Amino acid sequence: MSKKGYVAALLVVVVLAASAGILSANVLTNGPSAPADHKQALAATAPATVEELGKLLFFDTRLSGDTSISCSTCHAPENAWTDGIALSAGYQSTLYFRNTPTIVNAGRMPLLDWEGRFAAGDMDSLVRDHLAEAHFMNVDGRLMVERLRQVPVYEQAFQELYGSDVSYGKVLNALSAFVSTRNSADHPYLDFVNGSESALSPEARKGLELFEGKAGCAQCHTGELLSNGEMHALGVPENPEIFSEPLRHITFRRFFRLLGMADYVSLRSDPGLYPLTYDESDRGKFRTPSLLEVSRTAPYMHNGVFATLEDVVRFYNEGGGQHDNADPLLKPLELTDDEIESLVAFLSVLGSAEESMDIPELPPYEQRTLGQN
Amino acid sequence: MNVSNRLNIALVVFGLLFLGGAILAMYLFQPSEKEEAAKDLPITTTATAPPPTQPAVTISLRDELRGLGLGPLPPVVMPADNPLSDDKVELGKLLFFDPRMSGDGAVSCATCHTPQSGWGDGNALSLGYPGTLHWRNSQTILNSAYYRQLFWAGESKSLEAQAKSAWTGNVAGNLDAAMAEERLRQMPEYVRRFREVFGADTPSFGDALRAVAAFEATITSRNVPFDRYMEGDDAALSSGAQSGAELFVGKAGCFQCHGGPLLSDQDFHNTGVPPNPEFESNPLRQITLRYQHRARGVPESVYRSADRDLGLYYTTKRDEDKGKFRTPSLREVELTGPYMHNGAFKALEEVVEFYNLGGGDDPAKDPQLRPLELTEQEMTNLVEFLLSLTGDPIIIDPPDLPEYEVLP
Repeated sequence: MSKKGYVAALLVVVVLAASAGILSANVLTNGPSAPADHKQALAATAPATVEELGKLLFFDTRLSGDTSISCSTCHAPENAWTDGIALSAGYQSTLYFRNTPTIVNAGRMPLLDWEGRFAAGDMDSLVRDHLAEAHFMNVDGRLMVERLRQVPVYEQAFQELYGSDVSYGKVLNALSAFVSTRNSADHPYLDFVNGSESALSPEARKGLELFEGKAGCAQCHTGELLSNGEMHALGVPENPEIFSEPLRHITFRRFFRLLGMADYVSLRSDPGLYPLTYDESDRGKFRTPSLLEVSRTAPYMHNGVFATLEDVVRFYNEGGGQHDNADPLLKPLELTDDEIESLVAFLSVLGSAEESMDIPELPPYEQRTLGQN
Repeated sequence: MNVSNRLNIALVVFGLLFLGGAILAMYLFQPSEKEEAAKDLPITTTATAPPPTQPAVTISLRDELRGLGLGPLPPVVMPADNPLSDDKVELGKLLFFDPRMSGDGAVSCATCHTPQSGWGDGNALSLGYPGTLHWRNSQTILNSAYYRQLFWAGESKSLEAQAKSAWTGNVAGNLDAAMAEERLRQMPEYVRRFREVFGADTPSFGDALRAVAAFEATITSRNVPFDRYMEGDDAALSSGAQSGAELFVGKAGCFQCHGGPLLSDQDFHNTGVPPNPEFESNPLRQITLRYQHRARGVPESVYRSADRDLGLYYTTKRDEDKGKFRTPSLREVELTGPYMHNGAFKALEEVVEFYNLGGGDDPAKDPQLRPLELTEQEMTNLVEFLLSLTGDPIIIDPPDLPEYEVLP
């Protein structure tokens, strides 16, 4: 290249740099030079409440390491906020070893997660683990915050709602706030409990009687949420796919290894609560799930091993499974086929007629002015 | 008198002694250089820029270069805890090409260090992990075993440490070490290979680092024209390249930093490289740049105002280290464009032009940089010399990778 060529190339670079600077000044949204109409457009799309901000974040794939998945990938509104499969998928190139619970009513549960690892009110920590875990969203908190800071709608929302820049803690807070808005509503059983006799069919009412009586379900599935929120071992059969699918076995081993289980390599059953207490009597215990949305959240159990409600009822009818710590409340129920049918009929009305949720349009990245961070 | 005053005086005394020693050494070495003259091809040297009143000293180019410490690379020296073996190199090769050594299984070392792109990625700025765009130029693996410190600002002190940062870094491999170990354990072929190489029951992340470092240490220059010249093959360098070599150690002063067999002093310099304009316009690059400020723990005021890669400053937090980067080797430079830590220059001609103008306009620029006043012909010759530093391409096909299996 001739000397003139170098000069020309340098000129092009300078002009490009200068025009990039002009461009970035035009889209700078928080600065004084931002055009008024752009600011107004932004204000119209920026979420007005913490819950709305949380909703946006819930659907935003930029909250995962490689931006391929969002919370809603496994907690999909069209599947009653689950993924509808036995065992959750998790992050790209990993597969998980437990079933995805619904987020509906999660904010009201006394313990969070299948193994009850977080107390009620500590939804933020549950969300944090889901963002950070290598098998869930695998995102570094600093990187995630810088991504959100690159989105003017988020910048504005955090300023207006929290009076500060985007921060990791506030992302957790907003996501928790959104999750806590997902509660059972427009629900036949709740209507019945509130006095509407006609909300349950005669068969479902027969099932309810069994639920509270002969079948003994209400010993654990009790209270407003149809859960005592406690930990029980039922002897649920293992889901063989956890060990026959290499990607699940990898995730399984890594998880229990990091919880400090010495025998994580030879372990072939989900120890549940055990690695949180190392009390042998806690092995195989899982949190009683709420049944309020059970008609919509198949497959069932911590490992999704039962495809239908009838499978679940027949499991209990036989007195549960074999386990050293099997709960003494479990015993063969001797339900007739008709009774099983009635019980399933009752369980089948446990579900909200939730309106489908519009997937929000995600606000895009925009360029910022370098040096004004 | 307090301790720090005593220290200061001791330092001054030591400094004066050192200066005196240096002057003495210069005096002593002066004649020996003259004695070395007149071997091989006698040409006029401009390296010491003698005043016009004195007669020019004539020594052979080869001996002059040798005297300045240039020449073929010595054999690679591996760390004491990581000696090379064929099996280890083969294992490291598998790991280098295995995308399961990234968080989402999508990228391997070879994604940004591809044999076909001179073991870099051929882009101005590296791709990085999916969902991100990296903020620096991807450096070549070629000859990387010779560096005492890796990465553009010397952040890692060994190939093993570099591999750890690359595999686990959030904008590179985003890999959890325990996840990596459990993935490897799920592949009996890896378990067998790790056992054979390291004698351990199961693959460990530390051994994976050693293996991949061993593989990288075998990716070194082969059959380099400049090396052949230095070993006595006069025809290995064209006359233009020989003139370029003369400029390299003389008028252009390149060897001041690009010295030794590696053609790098491995030290840190601010040359005032212009910013890559992509940082003005690409949101993903801006994110990664700010992430870097945060991840390296710069003070809040610096995070708020930083508009570029701060280089060595991230490690030292000393203002005078802002914009300093480690001198890269010039070996294989034909294959490793675009150039500079931010890929600001596409062609070697641009780099030479940049230095000919005395580098960039950073106020903290290295004082060694000054306009060189090279002619067009001299710049052409310099580039021709730079091209002679590149050896035979090393192309390695991606190996067949072990597969996951169900464990008993």
